[in-house]
Amino acid sequence: MEDDIILDFKDVTKRFPGVVALNKDTFQIRRGEIHGICGENGAGKSTLVKILSGVYPYGTYEGSVIYNGDELKLGQSSIREAAEKGIAIVYQELTLVSTRTVGENVYLGKEPLEHGAINWDKLYADTQAILEKYQLDVDPRATVGNLGVGKMQMVEIAKALSEDAKVLILDEPTSALSKAEVEKLMDILRTLKEHGITCIYISHRLEEFFLITDRVTVMRDGKVITTQPTKDVTQNDLVKFMVGREMKERFPKGKRKPGEVVFEVKDLEAFDPDNPTHKIIDGVSFNVRRGEIFGIAGLMGSGRTELVLTLFGEYGKISKGQIRLGDKVIQPKSARQAINAGLSLVPEDRKRMGLVLIQSILKNISLPNLDQFSKFFRIDANAEMQASLKEAKSLAIKAPSLEVLAETLSGGNQQKVVISKWLLSEPQVLIMDDPTRGIDVGAKFEIYKLMNELAEKGVAVIMISSELEEVLGMSDRVMVMCRGHSTTTLPVAEADKERVMALATGVAVA
Amino acid sequence: MNTSTTDDVKAQSLGTRVIQSVRSNIQSYILLIAVVGIWTIFFFATQGSYLDPQNISNLFRQMAVTSFLSIGMVLVIVTGGIDLSVGKLAGFVSVVCAYLQFYVWFKYLPGQVVLPAILSVIGGLLVGVIAGVVQGYIIAYLSLPAFIVTLGGMWLFNGLILLVTQGKTIAAHQPVFSDIAQGYIPPVWGWGIFVLIAVLLLWNMFSGRRSKQKYGFEPRPLYLDLLTIGVIVVLVFAYIFSVNNYKGIPAPVLLLAVVAMIMIYVSNNTRFGRYAYALGGNREAARLSGINISGVLFRVFVLMGFLCGIGGVVLASYVGYGTIAAGTGYELDAIAACILGGTSPLGGVGTIYGALIGALIIASLTTGLQMLNVAPAWQYVLKAIILIAAVYADVYFKKHR
Repeated sequence: MEDDIILDFKDVTKRFPGVVALNKDTFQIRRGEIHGICGENGAGKSTLVKILSGVYPYGTYEGSVIYNGDELKLGQSSIREAAEKGIAIVYQELTLVSTRTVGENVYLGKEPLEHGAINWDKLYADTQAILEKYQLDVDPRATVGNLGVGKMQMVEIAKALSEDAKVLILDEPTSALSKAEVEKLMDILRTLKEHGITCIYISHRLEEFFLITDRVTVMRDGKVITTQPTKDVTQNDLVKFMVGREMKERFPKGKRKPGEVVFEVKDLEAFDPDNPTHKIIDGVSFNVRRGEIFGIAGLMGSGRTELVLTLFGEYGKISKGQIRLGDKVIQPKSARQAINAGLSLVPEDRKRMGLVLIQSILKNISLPNLDQFSKFFRIDANAEMQASLKEAKSLAIKAPSLEVLAETLSGGNQQKVVISKWLLSEPQVLIMDDPTRGIDVGAKFEIYKLMNELAEKGVAVIMISSELEEVLGMSDRVMVMCRGHSTTTLPVAEADKERVMALATGVAVA
Repeated sequence: MNTSTTDDVKAQSLGTRVIQSVRSNIQSYILLIAVVGIWTIFFFATQGSYLDPQNISNLFRQMAVTSFLSIGMVLVIVTGGIDLSVGKLAGFVSVVCAYLQFYVWFKYLPGQVVLPAILSVIGGLLVGVIAGVVQGYIIAYLSLPAFIVTLGGMWLFNGLILLVTQGKTIAAHQPVFSDIAQGYIPPVWGWGIFVLIAVLLLWNMFSGRRSKQKYGFEPRPLYLDLLTIGVIVVLVFAYIFSVNNYKGIPAPVLLLAVVAMIMIYVSNNTRFGRYAYALGGNREAARLSGINISGVLFRVFVLMGFLCGIGGVVLASYVGYGTIAAGTGYELDAIAACILGGTSPLGGVGTIYGALIGALIIASLTTGLQMLNVAPAWQYVLKAIILIAAVYADVYFKKHR
């Protein structure tokens, strides 16, 4: 059993013009194991997945991939082919049709037919059977758009498994999930393992490898560095392999000296603008000092994102409470008013809310700041370039020029572009909503350092994060949110994981 | 930032840099090559008469009306919308002008020619702007889909055309008013305009270079700037030389050139233009960047209405009549010109320059096929094939760059 190899990579090399994405990679995946793969962005994980899925067909790479004893030879339009051979993939970004039902999504493209028409009864019955077999708790007739992210993930998995998959690849499945949802996913993976399905599990959240994987492969710069049984390594070992050096601290310590209170929210209450009876913010009070990093912890759906969007004038209808910035009471009715008052928001989802992906880095950085460069009607292109270049350089955005389109950048660099655009507006208060989501360890560390620098310069930084360790590692004080309500604000010295989690889940009351 | 980049650029040879600059603008060149190709084919097919001064003169004059519409349509499509009403709106403006010319001014300002023409133009533009304001308000502030609102607009303006004309044709070929679209710039003035363009281009180039240096950026090598300007100057010279052999620059072509220059400037160098592209690229990101989405959308449709106003005035003057069929189908020509010119139907991408070349391609085909006496049925079939093939080529090259 030990040596029953289902996938065998032999000297796999994939070249792009100017870049070697995979460099003579050799490693093996055993039948029935959960195999973790980690590495910084650009380490070659996605390229590997694309070879297995057939996005890069046989012949476009060197070396060989042996699958079930035979060489894997996927042809040109081979994405269906891979699925038929039993290799299924759940991508980081969900690929569901949100307006259709669970069953329709699971059987999309392979609907059971009867005399040329879709046999709906069979489709839903088969979906039900798959869901039950792997203990996925979803209604086959529910509309996907009405499900939460966690359930959507289950639908993705069911879709992947509907073709009798032997290997299931999960590419960063947890980046959008709350802690409870992650745990549920882990349970599902254990069930899959019992059914003999081999899983390849790709993630940035190292602690997850220790929950479920049997072995872990670490990649760096297109090379497989090592494959180890998970029980033989620690998180620090993995980080060391990933970055090629020892990281003494995951969170850099700054020399912050918080000053006077600059931003204060009192008894804020707000309603969902699309559903005026639904209270989304229910009593939130906190204050942030100049030069402080203020953490907001809470589970997904606790109202964290709704809170910051409301403060930014772009979401909730405020029914009660006060927002004070400096010595002025503000009531932003739009993002423009919030920006002018001195607030900036690095939003939760950089691709959907932070960037115009089809535009250049330059245009993205200058977008909220064009007033600075405009005289009468004209934008001074040189002034725009000069200021944007300065920000891009100080954040070390890696790109050949600012004319490069934002969509071509890695996640970490994209996030730096979003941050640059907000730094250029010189905010007094910078709100960062999950700023390190889905980016690699190295880029995370740079963003942490940047947050420290900003705070040292006197900016009040508010950070929301799904990762408890990050909130506790970076903040001076932490506020915990639960069901739209701010439970309490703790100095970080008094906050530990258990206490924050208890407050966030409503188990404990401050 | 990768600091070695600038040094790399410096080290590149002249040839590589020219090639690079060609490659990065490949789409614009492909379009120009298409125009040259079409002209060459028709040149030989018509034994040379296709490129006669008279035909060149007519070709550009014919494309003027839809070109005004395409200029506005680019911005509408860039913001992720569509405007189906532009043809009928331009038509409505044209019958309003004809009505004013023939019935109103004839009665109240007898014997005058200049003042009525001016008033007709103002009236026409006003109608366009009001239509733009109403449609823009409904789309931007009441958040109704542009497709539906402008489909309604198209029917409405069609109805209004029938109301104003009472089903009859109204004459609009009075002196002065006719000159708007049928007049010519005397050849001497034409050369004056040529000199003016050349001087402005050079002045613009040198002041641009100076400004770059002031900010510490290295300007492009002088020869590249001069090469660009040289190519433009030669093209303008060739055009003016050709039309001067007939009657001079057609007035509507000059008007189109001026409007196009202003609109290209607005789309590239003003906040309004930038915001339009940004919100078409990602509305949510634009909103969170502090852009007043509704305000920008509203202004785009008002501008579209204004351009329909210009198009309608030129149409009335060009045709010399206000007719019930005025402007029919122009909206589709305008949309086709944008798409041919590289505007993405998904929004966020597109240039006015491209749309104008697109309009030129359509006009070149129409004129050429007419000269060859191709039956109208086959003209449509050929145009269909060329439109689809051109867009496919565009998609193909983007994918395989």
